[in-house]
Amino acid sequence: MEPQGAQVKVTFTTTEADIQLPEAKRQLLVPADIRRYGLSRILNSESMLDTGAIPFDFLVNGSFLRTSLDEYLQSNGLSLESNVSLQYVRSLIPPVYEASF
Amino acid sequence: ATHLNETERTLRDFSEALNMWTKFQTKTHPLSLSLSSQLRLILTPSQSTKLSGSFRTGKRLNIKKIIPYIASSYKRDKIWMRRSIPSKRAYQILLCVDDSSSMGENSSSGRLALESLVMVARALTMLEVGQVGVLGFGTDVFVAHDLTAPLFASHDAGARALQHFTFRQEGTDMVRLLRSTIDQFRDARLLQAGSSSGEDLWQLALILSDGLVQSKDHARLRPLLREAMEQRVMVVFIVMDDAAQNKKGRSVLELNQATFDPDGVPVIHRYLDSFPFPYYLIVHHLEDLPGALAALLRTWFAEVNA
Ligand SMILES: [Mg+2]
Repeated sequence: MEPQGAQVKVTFTTTEADIQLPEAKRQLLVPADIRRYGLSRILNSESMLDTGAIPFDFLVNGSFLRTSLDEYLQSNGLSLESNVSLQYVRSLIPPVYEASF
Repeated sequence: ATHLNETERTLRDFSEALNMWTKFQTKTHPLSLSLSSQLRLILTPSQSTKLSGSFRTGKRLNIKKIIPYIASSYKRDKIWMRRSIPSKRAYQILLCVDDSSSMGENSSSGRLALESLVMVARALTMLEVGQVGVLGFGTDVFVAHDLTAPLFASHDAGARALQHFTFRQEGTDMVRLLRSTIDQFRDARLLQAGSSSGEDLWQLALILSDGLVQSKDHARLRPLLREAMEQRVMVVFIVMDDAAQNKKGRSVLELNQATFDPDGVPVIHRYLDSFPFPYYLIVHHLEDLPGALAALLRTWFAEVNA
């Protein structure tokens, strides 16, 4: 399957021992327009953590990702060549339905 | 095509580049020797692999000549084929180095690529098989060493090529690189045809890169790779995948990509599954490159001579 849009390479990290990814799965190419909800779905998917529906939040460079990844890159003067480190944590915010991801 | 953004890009300091070239050349010298002796056997065959021609004596009968032979009352008796002396081969080789920022920053791919560049350039210089050029690519394509310039006999020539690589380009446009490579080879073939005769010209592009290309470009690369093949240009992709850095699950071999199907369900694929280059090798250690490259070229020559 050929993806439609641009991609960016991310590396997932976490400090929570029970939701660690195997080392081979920590780096991943994701759609550049992805947001928290899409990333959360990927992490929960069968090929990744296989955790079903835990809502995750993502820390990038110390703050929560609240935009799409490409918006984050743009506002920080980074390009699609960057490898973005994403630290995932169980979300403390009550799950809110998001129409887009 | 040498003028692209020449003024916009900042060059690496010459003395720094000279230090790098000297250091890499010393470090990779045994590998250059090994590669050049392996390539000598592959690139300059002493015996033709094909039987051909019409002779009175020879190695094997030419079946097509038998009926005319009988029909001519055994007068047209040049019915044998021989291994003929191979025609002299000339090579034009472009070493294409990825200058995009994914090669630098937190990655050691850039350094491995430059060491590989020095090692291969020196091996080809020792061989004296033809012309060697160096291209850089990222968001654009530039010439770091012209195909018609003398080979890398001096450290100065090498250093001037290395000066161009700073790994700051904010994109990896492989489509543009292939387009430019095919065009440059077409021009170079015309030039060569005007200056010499009787030589068999072979054109080879070696791409040194971390292999990270936007997946949406994979489909756009396929027709260009076909075009290269039709132009008799061989393209070899050498993926820089430093073992020292990548032992913690960071190898491109294990890299996956996530997409969403029309229902929004995530789908995970191996990145290399859609990688469009038919000839590629993955280099974890520089020491692997001479053997791997020679093996690949040997296979390819066997295929085109079959
Ligand atoms: Mg790149």
